[in-house]
Amino acid sequence: MPAIYRASFGFLRRHPWQLGLAILGICIGVAVMVAVDLANQSSRKAFLMSMDTLNGQATHQIVAGPGGVDETIYTTLRVEHGIRRIAPIVSGYAHAGEVALQLLGVDVFAEADFRQYTAPANFETDLAASPDTGPGQPEDMVRRFLTVNGSVLMSAATAAELALSPGDSFEILVNGKQRQAVLTGILRGNDGREVGGLVVTDIANAQYWLEMQGRLSRIDVRVAANDEQRLSEIRGSLPPGTELLSASGRTETTAEMSDAFMTNLTAMSFLALLVGIFLIYNSVAFAVLQRRELIGVLRALGVTRGQTFRIILSEAAVVGTLGAALGLLAGVWLGEKLLVLVARALSDHYFAVNVTDVAISSASVVKGFVAGLGATLVAATVPAIEASSFQPRLALTRSTLEQRAGRAVPRLGYSGIGLIFLSALMLALSGRSLVIGLIALFVLILGFAFCIPFIVRGISNALAPFAGRIGGTAGRLAIGGVGKTLSRTGIAIVALAIAVSATIGVSVMVGSFRASVSDWLGSTLQSDVYVGVPRGSLDPALIPDLTSLPGIAEYSTSRRAWLETDNGRTRILAIRMAPGSYAGTNIRDADPEHVWRQFNQDSAVLVSDSYAYRHETQAGEFVTLNTPQGRVELRVAAVYQSYDSNDGAIMMSRNTYNRYFDDSAIDSIGLYLNDGFDVDLVMNSLREVSEGRQSLIMNSNDNIRDISMAIFDRTFVITNVLYWLAVGVAIIGIFGAMLALQLERAREFGVLRALGMTPGQTGVLVSLQTAFIGFLAGLTAIPLGLVMAWVLVEVINRRAFGWQIDIAISAQPLLAAMALAIGAALLAGIYPSWHAGHARPALAMREE
Amino acid sequence: MTTTNKRAQVRIRDLSRSFWEGERQHDVLRNLSVEFAQGETVALRGRSGSGKSTLLNLISGIDVPDAGEVEVSGKSITGMSERERTLFRREHIGFVYQAFNLVSTLSVSDNIRLVLELNGIGREQADQRILKLLDAVGLRDRAESYPDILSGGEQQRVAIARALAHEPVLLLADEPTGNLDDRTAEGVLQLLDELVRQAGGTMIIATHSAGVAEYSDRVLELQNGALVS
Ligand SMILES: Nc1ncnc2c1ncn2[C@@H]1O[C@H](COP(=O)(O)OP(=O)(O)OP(=O)(O)O)[C@@H](O)[C@H]1O
Ligand SMILES: [Mg+2]
Repeated sequence: MPAIYRASFGFLRRHPWQLGLAILGICIGVAVMVAVDLANQSSRKAFLMSMDTLNGQATHQIVAGPGGVDETIYTTLRVEHGIRRIAPIVSGYAHAGEVALQLLGVDVFAEADFRQYTAPANFETDLAASPDTGPGQPEDMVRRFLTVNGSVLMSAATAAELALSPGDSFEILVNGKQRQAVLTGILRGNDGREVGGLVVTDIANAQYWLEMQGRLSRIDVRVAANDEQRLSEIRGSLPPGTELLSASGRTETTAEMSDAFMTNLTAMSFLALLVGIFLIYNSVAFAVLQRRELIGVLRALGVTRGQTFRIILSEAAVVGTLGAALGLLAGVWLGEKLLVLVARALSDHYFAVNVTDVAISSASVVKGFVAGLGATLVAATVPAIEASSFQPRLALTRSTLEQRAGRAVPRLGYSGIGLIFLSALMLALSGRSLVIGLIALFVLILGFAFCIPFIVRGISNALAPFAGRIGGTAGRLAIGGVGKTLSRTGIAIVALAIAVSATIGVSVMVGSFRASVSDWLGSTLQSDVYVGVPRGSLDPALIPDLTSLPGIAEYSTSRRAWLETDNGRTRILAIRMAPGSYAGTNIRDADPEHVWRQFNQDSAVLVSDSYAYRHETQAGEFVTLNTPQGRVELRVAAVYQSYDSNDGAIMMSRNTYNRYFDDSAIDSIGLYLNDGFDVDLVMNSLREVSEGRQSLIMNSNDNIRDISMAIFDRTFVITNVLYWLAVGVAIIGIFGAMLALQLERAREFGVLRALGMTPGQTGVLVSLQTAFIGFLAGLTAIPLGLVMAWVLVEVINRRAFGWQIDIAISAQPLLAAMALAIGAALLAGIYPSWHAGHARPALAMREE
Repeated sequence: MTTTNKRAQVRIRDLSRSFWEGERQHDVLRNLSVEFAQGETVALRGRSGSGKSTLLNLISGIDVPDAGEVEVSGKSITGMSERERTLFRREHIGFVYQAFNLVSTLSVSDNIRLVLELNGIGREQADQRILKLLDAVGLRDRAESYPDILSGGEQQRVAIARALAHEPVLLLADEPTGNLDDRTAEGVLQLLDELVRQAGGTMIIATHSAGVAEYSDRVLELQNGALVS
């Protein structure tokens, strides 16, 4: 290494902690980013892969609304139109014990063109091991599969999970009813293995179990690419309300539901990196400042500006490379942890994800590395320019330096204000774009960050005299010192303030959201008891028996169904309202009485907040639905409050629903009890009535609310994890800054000590200063945090999910943030204050 | 002295430099003009704070005057770009700083090597020169030491060795004997005499010491921002 590089690197070698902290900061930033990316990608990939396995070679699928596809359509296509490459599918969910299973009913003879693992040719042949099933020939297995009552196939892994061997029979719960199943064979084929918990049965059996006689969930279609003729032939033969959709498009649509959720996580992950950038900036800026004499000497000896710039930047490149590389490793580890949380949140809100291992994609790795290294270089550019601008005149005096920083402060403040305006402009003009909304949020944070030194200087100058009165010279030195050493403390304060403001922003947002959801649940959950079936619908014969029990005053029913078109999926909510139910729906901007009249009498519908936002629909407009009765246009009577996480829902009365859809299923009922009847007693009698007929889930009003809130809190666990990581990065930053600051002042402390200040006094001085730094960070974080909360609620959540949340600010998160800021700073100041007190003055004065 | 046909090596015209301390302007040099001939050794005297270091800084181009011109070997330092100044200084000027300004993160020999490297001198040649210089300043056995463990006088000698490493035509020395006992100071002056003066180099030495003045061709005194002889 040339001597000029050695001269400069030697400094870092002598201060390994500074190097180490910078590397750690970038490492965590990159790790969080990579982890979120991997967790998102892996869960999405797992979902797409399982869809791929389930859809097999299907290029298209015929689907219909809530009632499913009429099975005669299949026959018509096959017999009258001679279309061979189609396969009927009946699918649903089942439970064996505690294990959730996906039930796939197939016609094995139609499968060969679609799924290898369900094609007879691939059926496992070595069943001889099981004595009562006879020799294992594929034909035998097919025969058994078709003739044994309740025959099912599953992968070896699923069988092992359920502790089943071929020939075993077992109980399976489908649509709330216990059924007898027999494992007649093991699914093989590489693509069958990836679907966790898949159970295949014959289509007729599936129809029986799922109570879908005469109906199909879908018909898989395989056509050669661009065989438009065949497609339009099929399309032409379909009745109204039945659609031919592209298989990949359907999968995509489902996967896209989670896009906003993932984008938000990604944005959260950038926060850690952003804080990391400040940390790196801080470290490099310190390293430059502390070497100002050295750089001055180098410059005086003839090192050019360009060389100086390159030295600093190449150091940063080494730090960035190391940090990013370590960050990648840590990211993979963290990604596995996050994956569990992400998969759970996705399963709670969007679609089943069954995934345990992160799939490490080279794209994520490259992205993380480039971001880490890039962030470091960007952060290092400013100090590098600063370094190269040092006049070769020796030893820029401290006061010159502070003067320079002092002059920069207002300029920085102005550009900060400019950025804030820019951000406001972006927010105002970006319409509905979530990504631009997030970018604007980051611009806003940056703008605020630029203003912080200005604010800090003002506060510290204003407080210094008071501090002097209370804390004497030490107090004045500590408090006034912060404002006068902005060139070194400024960035640390900014980094901490940003991290702390993020905790305020996120916790105010989550708190407001939680309060809104809780209020909403409070008003929506009007019934005393809710009865439903896990992933199924209630037995129609059971409903009269349940609702006629003593103590039950009235009841509402609800049915949730999906309507699919080329433009995506729409959730339909069919409600038969009990008189008490009306109050449970919070109508926005309309007269409820009028709305309900339209709802009940004129087939008008209500749309949820999300739906209204997503489709830019409002009261008085029309929604078009493709039903078995053909296309119908329904008038939107009003928008109602809802926090559904998909693309929103259309609510209609059960009468309206029955008029247009060929579906009598009821998913759940809400029971209203007469006064004086005990919820638990009623639930007991409900249980007695349903015993042996259908296994129901029953929840009291309170129960449902608790469960909903639990899911809510679960969803935000990951958010908490991410912002704590950002705070962690900030604490590291403060720690590094405090160390560097005290090191920088070592000579000064040496002199103070030589003049007779005790170690205790210097320790107090440093602690006072760090506490004050924490206080300033906390103070400046509050306005930024509140603005962030506002943007998160009014812009980000709205654009991402269409939700309308009322902001609720309480003192608690603000106090917590202040405590966090001061605590973090004090924690970071422990070692430096010890160091300042214990360094031997003679040595300290000699230190550069 | 026969100064008539000596080519002027350093020419300073109407040089002014002032510093701002808050609102107050502090004029250190006022319209100062002077010439130094090639091969000449000049002692620059003046009270503390009279601006000796400031003048040397301006001559070496590590500081820029408010007005006036500095010419070294016929080249106008003040007219050069920052980069040109740097390169010129690197090649032609040696500077012994009042506060030594050794690179604390480099060993004694590397401090010298740095200058040689900057001037593109090959490794072997550099090694030889470093040894020779350290021999000359009597610090051969401290080659691998780091500056912060050296005594003030030792550091000063390293600084001198470093200033001479690239055989500059102009040596600026700010109190080169300030920290030295008489005998060592004598040695340092002899060294400068051998290495610079006898090689035809020009020296400007800021000093308080009478010894240095005696040894010089000329003594100039800085007073109120101007030179008197
Ligand atoms: N960077 C600076 N900023 C402000 N004032 C300065 C600066 N450099 C020098 N001065 C002032 O200029 C004056 C001359 O300083 P200089 O260092 O040139 O004096 P000097 O003659 O070398 O003194 P000494 O003999 O003590 O070394 C002093 O009053 C000093 O305070
Ligand atoms: Mg001086």
